[in-house]
Amino acid sequence: MERATSTPARTRRPPVTALALVLALIAGGFAGWAGWDWYDAAHDDTVAYAEQRDAALAAGEQAVQNLNTLDHRSLDRGLDLWESSTTGELHDQLVSGRDAFAEQVKTAKTVTTAKVLSGALTELDDRAGRARVMVALRVTVKAPGEASTDKDSRMLGELTRTDGHWKLSALGQAPVGGNPAN
Amino acid sequence: MTRLRHVARSRAATGADAHGEPGADARVESGTDAYAEPGTDAHPEPGTDAHAGFGTDAHAEPGTDATPDPGTDTPPEEPPRPRVPARRLLPAVGAALLVLAGGGFLYGAHQLRATPSAGNHALTDAEETARVAGEVGNGLARVFSYTPDGLDATERAARSVLAGRAQRQYTELMGRIRADLAEQRVTLSTQAVRTGVIELDGDRARLLVFLDQITHRGKAGATSAAAQLTVTARRQEDQWRIVDIRTR
Repeated sequence: MERATSTPARTRRPPVTALALVLALIAGGFAGWAGWDWYDAAHDDTVAYAEQRDAALAAGEQAVQNLNTLDHRSLDRGLDLWESSTTGELHDQLVSGRDAFAEQVKTAKTVTTAKVLSGALTELDDRAGRARVMVALRVTVKAPGEASTDKDSRMLGELTRTDGHWKLSALGQAPVGGNPAN
Repeated sequence: MTRLRHVARSRAATGADAHGEPGADARVESGTDAYAEPGTDAHPEPGTDAHAGFGTDAHAEPGTDATPDPGTDTPPEEPPRPRVPARRLLPAVGAALLVLAGGGFLYGAHQLRATPSAGNHALTDAEETARVAGEVGNGLARVFSYTPDGLDATERAARSVLAGRAQRQYTELMGRIRADLAEQRVTLSTQAVRTGVIELDGDRARLLVFLDQITHRGKAGATSAAAQLTVTARRQEDQWRIVDIRTR
């Protein structure tokens, strides 16, 4: 009785075990290769660099838009946003000129809004945490008793990474007509 | 009789005492009392007794011991059956787990590489980024710069710089204004002051270009204008050609 059950099991056992072992080895090889592939992807500098590029561009476009948006009815909120979008010298300038500027806007009672039309990074130093951005935007100004006016503007900014966030450290209009006759 | 009963009762009382400390009493009793009152001792605490008296009791009370733990006490008959499939299953389970792990890694790697950030090679491929920016900037400057007598040259240049929709639009525009340009002696010079690559994916690129344009009309002075364009370029025969131009 015992012999009868064990004999077929014994003849069947080795091939199945060998097959399972081969499969396990193949699976192990596959897992190892996949793990290496994942490690390679996870430690690819290019991906990290590309992510920094996109983060810098998004932050740059948002900051340029913020700095071209101001509503005289909520000056403090607008100017706080200006300050939180900037760092370095630009930030210092905004802070020191804040009161005078707020007074101007209060008198003029203007509402300024901006829309980014397109933007691109032209430089990115991932390690130093510096980047240059160019942004085309449309600024709409509404003064009391007047129709709102649109103005297309193009700006060049410099971004600096502070505490993991990209902020504008310089911003200016791209000069038009480097050497026009008039 | 009454006295005997009393003794019996007091015995029962000592038996009841044994329950108060089962662990300590079990060993003592198995050696001495087990014979005196086997019935009362074995039934109240079969579990604790069986384990406590493994070594010593097994032979004294084989009947009660065998029923609680049949597996451990009778090794020769049953075990071979469950053990072999378990050993044989191990590589299979291992293989399945490894395949799952591998799949997980591949998926993770794919997720990392498939991010829109990784697919865009603007700036990450510094060489190609500089190249497409240079070729597109120069191309726009050539196409949008002309003198009244050099319109043919400009249009020839346009044929090598532009393709697709941009070429059709340009041809249509020049056909419309060419006569006026020649008549009014218009000179246009265009310069790309800043070019940024928004997206670079293989042989397709999207760029933002800031242009400066200076126009001279006859003897009148120059007027300058700014233009912001987004340009789509395609690499054809190892040359970047502008296929679409949109003003911003």
